Amino acid sequence: MTLDSSHIAEIIIAEIRETVPELAGQPIAASDSMPELGVDSIERSEVILATMEKLGLKVPMVELHGPRNIGELADLLLAKRAG
Amino acid sequence: MTAAVIGMGAACGFGHGKAALRDGLFSDRNLFSTLKREGREAAIGEAPFLGIEMPEPDHVLPPRVARTASFGSRVGLSVLAEAWTEAALENVDPERIGLVVGGSNLCSREQALAAREYADRLSYVPPRHGHMFLDTDLCGLCTSAFPIRGFSQTVGAASASGSVAIIEALNSIRSGRVDVCIALGALQDLSGYDLHAMRALGAMGSTRFADKPEQACRPMDIRHDGFLYGEACAALVLCRTDLPSVARPYGQIIGAGHVADGTRGPEPSTAGQVRAARLALEDAGLSASDIDYVNGHATSTPTGDLAELESYRTLGLHHARINATKSIIGHGLSAAGAIEVVATLLQMNEGRLHPTRNLKEPLDPDFDWVTSKPVDHRIQNALKFSFGFGGIDTALVIAASGDPQPVGPGGRR
Repeated sequence: MTLDSSHIAEIIIAEIRETVPELAGQPIAASDSMPELGVDSIERSEVILATMEKLGLKVPMVELHGPRNIGELADLLLAKRAG
Repeated sequence: MTAAVIGMGAACGFGHGKAALRDGLFSDRNLFSTLKREGREAAIGEAPFLGIEMPEPDHVLPPRVARTASFGSRVGLSVLAEAWTEAALENVDPERIGLVVGGSNLCSREQALAAREYADRLSYVPPRHGHMFLDTDLCGLCTSAFPIRGFSQTVGAASASGSVAIIEALNSIRSGRVDVCIALGALQDLSGYDLHAMRALGAMGSTRFADKPEQACRPMDIRHDGFLYGEACAALVLCRTDLPSVARPYGQIIGAGHVADGTRGPEPSTAGQVRAARLALEDAGLSASDIDYVNGHATSTPTGDLAELESYRTLGLHHARINATKSIIGHGLSAAGAIEVVATLLQMNEGRLHPTRNLKEPLDPDFDWVTSKPVDHRIQNALKFSFGFGGIDTALVIAASGDPQPVGPGGRR
């Protein structure tokens, strides 16, 4: 199965739920942004690192600024993974 | 100036809360067993380590914070919550409240586990690990969970860290820096590496009682064989005695002595211990004859017990009742001084003294030991010793204040 952006978004959302258990009862969509969900900057780094490990990817965190929501972050990670 | 102790929290092998500690101290229950927490395994072919471990603490922190807090920090927060609630500090300006955490290298077990877990994937070390293994992470967790805004810091003094935290809290009140200061003896979460190193050093109980852990810790007994670790943590809320509308005190810290004796490693120093005690007595305006109860440092190590006995002789403490809390809850290292002061204040308020386990044949029978049974005794002035590797000797004088305040079944007065 080839990995697409929506799969990566699912991984990101699962990592957000792991990192912030308080969001358990709340729906999270690819159109949501981490700051709007109340995920702080260290938690965001933790989510991204854990997602990258699942993807077998390692890119510097500074290259991952810019995406405005989870879906855009997933697109960017997919692009980085493709090289 | 003296400081009143208006709130206390404790955690040890008996469980969480000072009521569990109080009940346990008088229960004759053995806690010593083999250590089972992950990361404390002995090398293949070596006897497992003996000691005491505590149950999981109550949840105090929000889940997202708790999952990033070390075991010792979660215990510390639970202990602080107990002390804080009891002290009823709602009317005290947060900028007049300080925090001194006693202990250093507090998370070595979890740090070793993390180093092992991430050894072959260092690129993915969690960002939180950049601060969660610092001892000051406990300061940050405490001050973000409770309105403490005066100052916070850690102090390291090895096994005297808990006592030094109390001394620095006392100093911060005496200097006028704050009106209330919390001293927290943090949980020393020993790793297997630490345990092996202390076994190698010859400081820890050897294999002599490997099959009889309940007999292995025997401070001041002729068959003493080294200290045994016991997980512990305690917090004391110290307060100016003239601060209005605060909780009734358990007792008062009326004198403190803290000296360097000039030794580097684990060697005890009678000269340093005596000097610390004399400073504490002078500070309290008392002499040794005024002391009616001694809570020893009394670790059960042969050289340590003998040097401490010589200090008792030099000071002339033959008239005082003496016991050793470590015989029951083990050696909490960074937490020892703090939880043993809590034990002293609990005994003061109970009007009785806890037994000293395994003190069958005292090294020196001329002292008035509390041996296998509790004894009724109303403490007026207690002397508490705590010593640390690196030539650190401390003594505290703790006085009863007015009517005793026994702890109720739920831990509340």
